[in-house]
Amino acid sequence: MDINGCDAKISDTHLPKKPKLSPTLISDTELESEFSHHVQNIARINNGSFGCCPKSVMSAQQKWQLEFLKQPDDFYFNGLKEGILQSRLVIKDLVNADHVDEISIVDNATTAAAIVLQSVAWDFIQGKFNKGDAAVMLHYAYGSVKKSVEAYVTRAGGYVIEVELPFPVNSVSEIISEFRRALERGKVNGRKVRLAVIDHVTSMPSVVIPVKELVKICREEGVDKVFVDAAHGIGCVDVDMKEIGADFYTSNLHKWFFCPPAAAFLYCRKSSEIDDLHHPVVSHEYGNGLAIESAWIGTRDYSAQLVVPKVLEFVNRFEGGIEGIKKRNHKAVVEMGEMLAKAWGTHLGSPPEMCSSMIMVGLPASLGISSDSVALKLRTHLRNNFSVEVPIYYRAPGDGVVNPVTGYARISHQVYNKPDDYYRFRDAINQLVNDKFTCELLS
Amino acid sequence: MDQEARNGELTHHVSKKPKLTRCISEAEIRDEFSHHQHGVARINNGSFGSCPKSVLADQQKWQLKFLQQPDDFYFNSLRKGILESRAAVKDLINADDVGEISLVDNATTAAAIVLQQIGRGFTEGRFHRNDTVLMLHCAFQAVKKSIQAYVTRAGGSVVEVQLPFPLASEEEIINEFKKGIEKGKKDGKMIRLAIIDHITSMPCVVIPVRKLVKICRDEGVDQVFVDAAHAMGSIKIDVKEIGADFYVSNLHKWFFCPPSVAFLYCRKSILSSDMHHPVVSHEFGNGLPIESAWIGTRDYSAQLVIPSAVTFVSRFEGGIDGIMQRNHEQALKMARMLANAWGTSLGSPPEICAAMVMVGLPSRLRVMGEDDALRLRGHLRVRFGVEVPIHYQAPKDDGQPQAGARDKDGIITGYARISHQVYNTLEDYEKFRDAVILLVEEGQVCQMLLTE
Repeated sequence: MDINGCDAKISDTHLPKKPKLSPTLISDTELESEFSHHVQNIARINNGSFGCCPKSVMSAQQKWQLEFLKQPDDFYFNGLKEGILQSRLVIKDLVNADHVDEISIVDNATTAAAIVLQSVAWDFIQGKFNKGDAAVMLHYAYGSVKKSVEAYVTRAGGYVIEVELPFPVNSVSEIISEFRRALERGKVNGRKVRLAVIDHVTSMPSVVIPVKELVKICREEGVDKVFVDAAHGIGCVDVDMKEIGADFYTSNLHKWFFCPPAAAFLYCRKSSEIDDLHHPVVSHEYGNGLAIESAWIGTRDYSAQLVVPKVLEFVNRFEGGIEGIKKRNHKAVVEMGEMLAKAWGTHLGSPPEMCSSMIMVGLPASLGISSDSVALKLRTHLRNNFSVEVPIYYRAPGDGVVNPVTGYARISHQVYNKPDDYYRFRDAINQLVNDKFTCELLS
Repeated sequence: MDQEARNGELTHHVSKKPKLTRCISEAEIRDEFSHHQHGVARINNGSFGSCPKSVLADQQKWQLKFLQQPDDFYFNSLRKGILESRAAVKDLINADDVGEISLVDNATTAAAIVLQQIGRGFTEGRFHRNDTVLMLHCAFQAVKKSIQAYVTRAGGSVVEVQLPFPLASEEEIINEFKKGIEKGKKDGKMIRLAIIDHITSMPCVVIPVRKLVKICRDEGVDQVFVDAAHAMGSIKIDVKEIGADFYVSNLHKWFFCPPSVAFLYCRKSILSSDMHHPVVSHEFGNGLPIESAWIGTRDYSAQLVIPSAVTFVSRFEGGIDGIMQRNHEQALKMARMLANAWGTSLGSPPEICAAMVMVGLPSRLRVMGEDDALRLRGHLRVRFGVEVPIHYQAPKDDGQPQAGARDKDGIITGYARISHQVYNTLEDYEKFRDAVILLVEEGQVCQMLLTE
């Protein structure tokens, strides 16, 4: 696996408008050095959970932090606003948004969800929506988003419909038909579907959702607003706002775009309707637009939001920039996923074209993964006893299935990973199987 | 291998009565704050606070720990660290139970939490339309906007209590507050929430919160929220004595934590179960302290170094109490020095100042509005290397300002809010003194000042 490998095929996906690729590509040694702060000799195959940040970005961040500490008043009056604007401009170009006003920077997708959902709650409270009108979300929506929907939408009188998605999944058509079914339920008894929350890449289990098609269906079926939760967005899948066509779109930048914890963008499409979105932490900037509100929510460390231009410099040291990184990650994770499935005699959770930089790999049934908490215990066991960091997903078996695969590992691939990381995981599981280990043995 | 053992000691156990060998020296203090820009008279600790090198170093350790192995950090270190920080705060403010302490980014966030809860009272019909929320007219702008966003929008009405300034005594505050309560209860309305600053921002005075909270209880105010953004590390805090339902203070202003961290104290009661962090995570419903301890992936290091800040203050003579006492004395001493040099006066009596004092500026500078105040501040920064916020105080309508609000040339309409923190020196204030004297000698007025 060649980290700096050349892709012969020119990317036909959207490239940043002004790719400033550096004259010399990052070397293997430089790359190792950039991530040398990662605990060595663990197989860190879970970039999806918390992301990663290279040393050069960390030191850029420290510079910003020092600027503030040195003379905070001067920084507040003369440095901060311009810095945030620069970051927003970089993001606007990366995601093909029309206008920088459409880009706000917040801490993470969890915050973005609260912003969108709070706005929907007000629509219910102020009578714009009728009690009982529906919000549709995927059954595999992220836990925090589900709670946010409960806290804001259900509490304000909305009715929540979950789209049951099959897993393992075999094709996008399965997802599309389930989605259509859910929209039908949403419109029963004269209800209106006010909001659809659609993951771009679900978390657990991880599958790439055909968002463009689903957004189109939402438009056809008269769904008021579509919010795409792409926590795993930039650097993981193709992120083109105009192509996807959603009203709101959020992606973390610290997961797959090398920002330090934590930064995310929330895109809000300019439309003829006024969307009354506000940051829930209200400052004196209230009413000046979400982007300006989010750029000042009281005294805090904004440095993670300020390093975005530096991050762009970092990714442009790779062949093909972020596009190249994305493609190589995808290729590598599919290769490693297939290698593991073959070694264990299991299967992948979805076809390669429905994966991003993460893939679900079935674990041998003999391990006896019997519940969510058991899956967590196995994860801990792998960390403590084999130095492998990988999240495990529990899937209840269907009726009557013999010797079912009930556990799937979600492996990630990022630029710092090596084949050895996955071999170590392969060998750990093989050893457990050979030792006749079952999860029952875990306390 | 045990991650914690390899990465060094994880816990920061600090005993309640630290045993000092010797106090921090002047040279050590200078070194701790050597990252502050040299040549700047930084007499505005009140706005953004300060953080010593040793606490910054501890913060970097936490940040690195996360980056090294974030999953391990999340599962094995974070919760424990936050709990230790909360326990440290509980001791500092005399709360009963660590369950009453949540850590959030800043007072602005805490205000949103309290006001969202009030807002739900209106939208869910528990409160009547036009029931009131009471606040000081000089409440922090973010809090005012938060009231607009959550209370007014939900159908509540707002009553402002005028804070007289300049002030001769705290009695004036109490009288105005009583008037405000009456107004809030007029026509059978209920006061659902009173927001009381412990130390107002601009203009800066110490409010007799214990007395005002008692008045609130006597007058049947539902809930009392004390916004004490500046309190921790500048004034004594005893939440049981003060008796409010909610009390927030920043720790990055006067308690040496890095940006940013604040605690929100919620007295145990049925109210506390409906307090939620607005950024909802999977911890929703597990209580505000737990919700606030995980609001998605982010850098929690500022919340994790509170024990480190406690260690830092213990290196000073008398600990945080000694620091507060000396800051108070020095701030007053410097304020009097300035007022004498300029022929002006202080904005309030010494006993209602903490580590910040409002000093009248010569009327000849003609601070005629907010713009002038900002222009003067910028000019002082750019031309003289002095960082200090300026407050514009409109003269009273009746044309009869209080005694003392005049200098020999006219009405004093501009006040500088000077702060004193451990890193300040006499030179800082002398620089400010001389800058103002020079401006007056040059015949400058605010409107003319350049800020580039």
